[in-house]
Amino acid sequence: MAAPVPSLLRQELERLAESDQRIDGRGRWDRREVQLEVDILYNAEGSAKVTWGDTVVYAGVKFELRTPWPDRPTQGSLMCGAELRPVAHRKYEPGPPSPQSIELGRVVDRGIRESGCIDMEALCIVPGEKVWGVMIDIHVLSDGGNIFDACGLAAIAALRTAVVPAERFDVGEDHVLAVKGTPVMASFQRVGGRFVYDPSEDEETGGEERIHITLGNEEHLHSLQKGLKGAFTPAEFAEILEVARTHCGELRELVSSMEGN
Amino acid sequence: MMGGYGDVKLLNDDGTRLDGRTVDEMRPVEIKAGILPAAQGSAWVKHGLNVAVVAVYGPMEAHPRKIQRQDRAVLDVRYNMAPFSTSDRIRPGFNRRSREISKVTAEALESVVLLERYPRSKIRVEIEILAAEAGTRCVGITAASVALADAGIPMRDMVVGIASGKIQDTVVLDLDKAEDNYGQADLPMGICPNTGELVFLQMDGDLSIEEYNLATEYNYKAAAEIHEIMVAALKERYDGGEA
Repeated sequence: MAAPVPSLLRQELERLAESDQRIDGRGRWDRREVQLEVDILYNAEGSAKVTWGDTVVYAGVKFELRTPWPDRPTQGSLMCGAELRPVAHRKYEPGPPSPQSIELGRVVDRGIRESGCIDMEALCIVPGEKVWGVMIDIHVLSDGGNIFDACGLAAIAALRTAVVPAERFDVGEDHVLAVKGTPVMASFQRVGGRFVYDPSEDEETGGEERIHITLGNEEHLHSLQKGLKGAFTPAEFAEILEVARTHCGELRELVSSMEGN
Repeated sequence: MMGGYGDVKLLNDDGTRLDGRTVDEMRPVEIKAGILPAAQGSAWVKHGLNVAVVAVYGPMEAHPRKIQRQDRAVLDVRYNMAPFSTSDRIRPGFNRRSREISKVTAEALESVVLLERYPRSKIRVEIEILAAEAGTRCVGITAASVALADAGIPMRDMVVGIASGKIQDTVVLDLDKAEDNYGQADLPMGICPNTGELVFLQMDGDLSIEEYNLATEYNYKAAAEIHEIMVAALKERYDGGEA
């Protein structure tokens, strides 16, 4: 369980890459097994658990009433945050939110927000006075690598099961939150000189730059993020985008299958 | 006094409780050990509608060095509620309540873990409450014990967290949310099922000595039941459920 020495791990990853192998035996574009459970937590208005290889992530949705922003009086709001608490791995320390966890939350947030799957106008109760604020909180419980994709999947799955608790706030009847579309993220990391899909924790430790791509239902891009030091070519991006299309499609079907529709 | 809403009806006319339980009946408890791959030891406990998950890391080097003890390990325990675990969302981060619960939980676990086996080291116990329906500190203690055992940390005994309380002048085992909010007393305990010792004790409200004794009796009865579920979860993890 002790962390491997990074320089030795890096050597091993480079050696494996020469024969196009990965440290856990997967092919370059293979995904680990993903399990999704939804609507599992009392008190959360929508919830999901994603088990993605050795990564375990929960997401919960809460609603609150707030006054709209002055320049958008008829729109509700959406906020997505992620916490990398020390429960998730021995490498995480207690303390204020790290730059890593802020990046994670914001990349997931952008994918959901920019896909337009939540109609902000539909979150308005009284224009200029009262709108719904939708809060998605993501809790990483076990970091076995590629927490970005797991968090993105948990967030959209939790959102798709959310019920607006209007009765508790005395503003009408409880109703299902309208969600149009399922944005899904696919993440890649340069390991041993070439990109692989769905990096494991070892590959993240011994890898270089990572790229996160969120695709919506029409396979439009909704969020992109390049993280860590490293440089890539347009041809490399074109290659991983093709891989992302396949995996995002499969995972979108998994989310849809959970809702029984 | 807790709550102070003495006229809220919490008992049915036949003496059962609003959720149908008898006065000395606890909520259903489910436990799984070893559910977080990144941790040395872990546990998931569902107690009623409460859900707690605990990860244990270590023994590892204690740093900064000023926290090191030459003759024993230090236990670094954190109790945290997820933002979506309660009816109204709670802001992430520590507050006075979670700090106090972390402290007394650490002291309960320090009483059973053989800390002297690991001088100058640190064992981290991370308690995350994912859903809260009254009694989360007790569920956290139970889950922490299973996670420590799962991590192979030697202990004199495990600790079972369980509470009894008083509603409508009646002592009842294992308060649910309504009973906790509108009841008259709450008596959470950390019980070592093998030695019979107490390593965690809190109380608030109003109890006569007779009521305290009855609540304690209920807690010990429930602790024995929960202990069996804890042991079964660990057996399931390590020898496929064979006794």
